[in-house]
Amino acid sequence: MSGAMLKNFRGLRALVIMAPDSGRDTLERTLIKLGLEVSISDVPPCLADPPPAFDVVFFDADDGADLGMDSLAMPDLPLIAVIGSEAPSRLARVIRHRAASHILKPVRSSGIFTALLLAMNEHAARARHQQELLALRRRLSGRRVVMKAVVQLITVCGLSEEDAYQWLRREAMERRIPMEDMARHALGEGPEMGPQEKSRIKTGITGGRLDQTDQATVERNE
Amino acid sequence: MAMHAGARLAIDEINATPDASVTINPVSIDPAGQLTGYIDGARTLLQDHGLSHVIGCYTSSSRKEVLPLFEKFDALLWYPSHYEGFETSENIVYSGAAPSQHIVPLTRHLLRNFGSRGWMVGSNYIWAWENNRILREAINAAGGSVVGERYFPVGETDLADVVRQIVADRPDFVFTTLIGQSGFVFLNMLCAAAKAAGIDLPREMPAASCSLSEAELPLLGESAAGHLSSSVYFSTIASPENRQFSQLWAARFAHLGQPSADAESAYVAVHLLARAAARAGSGDFEAVREAVRGLTFEAPQGRVTVDADNLHCWMRPRIGRSRSDGTFDILMEHPIAVRPDPYLIWASETEDSQSLDIRMIQ
Repeated sequence: MSGAMLKNFRGLRALVIMAPDSGRDTLERTLIKLGLEVSISDVPPCLADPPPAFDVVFFDADDGADLGMDSLAMPDLPLIAVIGSEAPSRLARVIRHRAASHILKPVRSSGIFTALLLAMNEHAARARHQQELLALRRRLSGRRVVMKAVVQLITVCGLSEEDAYQWLRREAMERRIPMEDMARHALGEGPEMGPQEKSRIKTGITGGRLDQTDQATVERNE
Repeated sequence: MAMHAGARLAIDEINATPDASVTINPVSIDPAGQLTGYIDGARTLLQDHGLSHVIGCYTSSSRKEVLPLFEKFDALLWYPSHYEGFETSENIVYSGAAPSQHIVPLTRHLLRNFGSRGWMVGSNYIWAWENNRILREAINAAGGSVVGERYFPVGETDLADVVRQIVADRPDFVFTTLIGQSGFVFLNMLCAAAKAAGIDLPREMPAASCSLSEAELPLLGESAAGHLSSSVYFSTIASPENRQFSQLWAARFAHLGQPSADAESAYVAVHLLARAAARAGSGDFEAVREAVRGLTFEAPQGRVTVDADNLHCWMRPRIGRSRSDGTFDILMEHPIAVRPDPYLIWASETEDSQSLDIRMIQ
């Protein structure tokens, strides 16, 4: 599930949202040494249309530089907070932005690579989790239609529950579509299928048992 | 000791130059290898003596320990040791080899000439872990295997079991990052065990490292010969600069044996400092640091250039094979200086793009 650790950040485009000070200079210089392309901004470029493309964003959590940052301007980017004040009111914003890692002030060259590495890997892990979440949600919302199709195959075609489920699964694999979509097709709720597919659905079911063609298909899929 | 001697040599050389604009009055402190000694020593040098430039530190832990003091006092540490990389401080000039100049070329050499089944044995600290990570990833990418990997506390000499296991496994090579006494004992045991098993160690299962130097070979006795080492300097480099360096060394420090990479690196660091100060017209921390960017020096190892961005040095990697007389045969050297790449971001650790540049010498 977890991929190899990301550790080479050459060519990444970094946006640094900080007021000019020596800490910003150190950050910029170190990021350049790490092979990143660095853009500096005193304020978030949220009004730019389209927003310039970045791969990672550093923002000063102390000076309100993040005020203009919202999910529209920063679509799903790894954020790294540069933190001076540890007052909860400041840190609350770091949490709200879901910063993937942070750098404490005073900014030193040590620690920047670590913060970048943690943020990029944390963000990649979050993206994987998000994908898994979407897939699970889709399957969950499709459970009802799958059950409905299984019940219909049982009552209309006389299949056992197991055979009905396996038939749906196999047909879905054959067509390379999600099982939920296959269930909709079987219920006649899905988008129109070609005549060939329709006939396959008909011929595939023969009085409650699988025919030879389908046996072969099972073997091929497994 | 070798570093101190190398630095002394350069300081005396600089101070003896009649028309020099720079003279160096050194203050020496010996932290005796203790971390607290480094902190106290650095504080004494920077605070009490008000110095802006310090040549020193061997281990990474000592360097990391004193770095905050150099940042606080606006001073520059001239760090003359090869190390595992992953640092670029604006308060350090690194004159030793970075990973792109020691473990990466050694990895290529081992995989190309001996095979991809490796055994790794090391002292249990960062130098071993990080070098082994780089080697392990390259071995895996080449479709080979890490036959075994073991770590021992620094100074451990009870190594008979691991030596027995290595000889039984017969890997294509053994990569060792054991330091100090552990390293000597290990090579002695490995040589004896290989001999007993009828294995021609240098040809069939060489022991390779990124730290074996001329300073250690006399301590290995009969097991000194036949081991591979990756280094930017060997005492056998044939150049006018190295001949001069070796003569100076022999005249003053013959009791320390042959000059080694650590000695040369400290020698280079002092010369870079003197040249940077001359260029800056001042010994001031910031002026010298800016002046050292891009500076070149015709060192005993060849031309060394300080990288303008990361303050590490462009140098030529070399692979040597130790001889019984305490020196190294240079098997391979990079024809041009290799970029110092402390974060390994420019050269992939495994790719062979530089292979065309490497030529066999013997």
